[in-house]
Amino acid sequence: MPDNPFDLSRRLFLDRVAQAAALGSMAQLAPWAAASAAEPAGRERVRLGIIGTGDRGRALIQNILKTRNCAVAAICDDYAPHLDKARALLPAATPSFADHRAMLDAGGIDAVVIATPLHVHAAQTFDALSAGLHVWCEKAMARTIADCTAMVERSRAANRVLQIGHQRLFNPTYLNALARARAGEIGTITQVRASWHRNRDWRRAVPPGSDLERKLNWRLYRESSAGLMTELATHQIQVANWFFGALPTRVMGSGSICFWKDGREVYDHVALIYDYPGGRKLVYTSLLNNARYGCEEQIMGHKGSIEPELGRIYAEEPPRVPGLQQLRRDVAKGRRRTIPIGGATWFPELPVTTPGESLGWGEYDESMLQFEAFAEAVKTNTPAPGLLREAYHASVASLLGEQAMDQGQPAAWPAALAFAEPQTAG
Amino acid sequence: MIEAHVERFMAMGTRVELHVFGACDPQALLLGRRAIEQVDDALTIHRPSPTVSLNEALAAGGAATIDDPTLLAALIETRAMMTLTEGLFDPTVRQGAPRRAWELDGARGRIAADGPLAFDFGGMGKGFALDCAAAALRETGVQSGLLSAGESSILTIGRHPTGEPWPIGVPHPFAPGEFLAEFDLADEALSVSSTVDASAPGRQPTLRGDDGSPVSAPCTAIAISARGSLAEALSTALMVASPGERARFADRDPSRLLCFRFDGCDAISLVQPGVRTCDA
Repeated sequence: MPDNPFDLSRRLFLDRVAQAAALGSMAQLAPWAAASAAEPAGRERVRLGIIGTGDRGRALIQNILKTRNCAVAAICDDYAPHLDKARALLPAATPSFADHRAMLDAGGIDAVVIATPLHVHAAQTFDALSAGLHVWCEKAMARTIADCTAMVERSRAANRVLQIGHQRLFNPTYLNALARARAGEIGTITQVRASWHRNRDWRRAVPPGSDLERKLNWRLYRESSAGLMTELATHQIQVANWFFGALPTRVMGSGSICFWKDGREVYDHVALIYDYPGGRKLVYTSLLNNARYGCEEQIMGHKGSIEPELGRIYAEEPPRVPGLQQLRRDVAKGRRRTIPIGGATWFPELPVTTPGESLGWGEYDESMLQFEAFAEAVKTNTPAPGLLREAYHASVASLLGEQAMDQGQPAAWPAALAFAEPQTAG
Repeated sequence: MIEAHVERFMAMGTRVELHVFGACDPQALLLGRRAIEQVDDALTIHRPSPTVSLNEALAAGGAATIDDPTLLAALIETRAMMTLTEGLFDPTVRQGAPRRAWELDGARGRIAADGPLAFDFGGMGKGFALDCAAAALRETGVQSGLLSAGESSILTIGRHPTGEPWPIGVPHPFAPGEFLAEFDLADEALSVSSTVDASAPGRQPTLRGDDGSPVSAPCTAIAISARGSLAEALSTALMVASPGERARFADRDPSRLLCFRFDGCDAISLVQPGVRTCDA
């Protein structure tokens, strides 16, 4: 076993990507994956300044520290307890700041990592781009569709890399699943049924007597978050877009504050249908008071299904008749035994309980891998192809879903919001 | 080593397995599968089909032309079995309305009903499909095979590869590992109808064909006949028949018929007319 378990993770990633690539045109399906598999350009590390050192920011720091080509060069948070926890993860000399603009002014970094509340993503991205820095930003991109679009436009105008955190794009199980789906193994995909169900209030503890409720529990308030849509659904909408190879044409949905009636403003229960060309659908639910079905995307074609979170692929072929399997074994041995068959008709209407086939599930560290890809993009000032498109479409779709629920009527996908890949010179 | 070939697929709303033993034309199983899928396409009422079109044409009664040869063959078979079972097997849908009379002109492919009429071939479709598959397989030279549609409909071609009849054991529904009945089959079909576990998902209630009354007591009927469609019709009719009716079926048809009711885990034979071994 390697000394560093993340070497194993990387090796597994490369093996799985190679397996997936053998199935089809991985360069087309997930061009960023091929870039990730490449050796780093040069030995220098890209210096990252971290904006936001809450739970997610600190998790990202731990992943960055495991990369081959990134270094945490500075940290920043306007909430001192979070900053203190982040300092404990880093060398004592790492500069820390209470204001991100001060960190940008201080220099010494090549790029920023933004892990702050959603409603400040755009402004912080603009500040970093204006400072000539590249940006890695947590999903969802921004609180409004206009800001999502502006982030793309400004990164292009600044000629800097903008990458959004969608770790499934680096997960070999997903890559393998996509390659097998595109190779036709599950037939024509007509529906993705996705859910992210949790059974907890989604609250963070607020110091008694403080006025930090909206700051720390920003996910629960509309000014700063679209709740389940931007924090969870974005990941799974991206997966649906990816497997359908298309964008939604419209979305309809219903949202409610159904269980946690604690003063929050965002829905704790959402149900949406995203229509795709050809009548295909993403059926999406997310709620916060039942975790039985957890997080999964069920990708359904006419020949089979894929459940990437479980790492399984299932053929539509029904389970074999046990009595007839016995018959075959007996005949092979020249034996004749009573064949146990002839009961009530077998119906296929109950859920399949057969185990399916493994997609090569493993404990990967896709968050680390996406930072390695980001660092290579920064070094060459060339975004990993396709990544921003996937993220932009997922963020826009999540916000359109919120709009459909709020207005109680379907929201069509505006044609102008299709991501246009930048023109390359030459 | 005896060659073994198999085709597994979904059709007729259930799982189908075609097992063939011995030398076999490479296309044989595919032809058998196609035959079943053709029946499914013709008789299904769960997607657009000739049967759905016929039902729409007969929704207000009147007459209709049957263009599809598979549907016409199924209707001709249906008429014969309705006669044999004194109407206890009846694939027409009542929906509370009085049963309508209907006439079939097989030669001209015309059907006429004196009121609203609809067909649901669920009571014989699997057996009919197995008959069609067996014909296709025999035509390619298959001499030994066992075909299953949902496990309640079985058809044997020739004999077991050992040269003896096919030994079939119908599992006891309340005694795991035990058989309710065992049979030897050769070039015969077996059908099982049962109200055991009738509330399970996907199960349709069993109704008497003449007055629509349901069979609610747990019982199991088994019919072994020369054809799959006949076995299915007889096992269905046997379930709803009175003792006198069962006896008349047995006198009229050489099929092997069994019917059990269950008292707890005990199977009590209601009638066992005409039971013979396949070599008798």
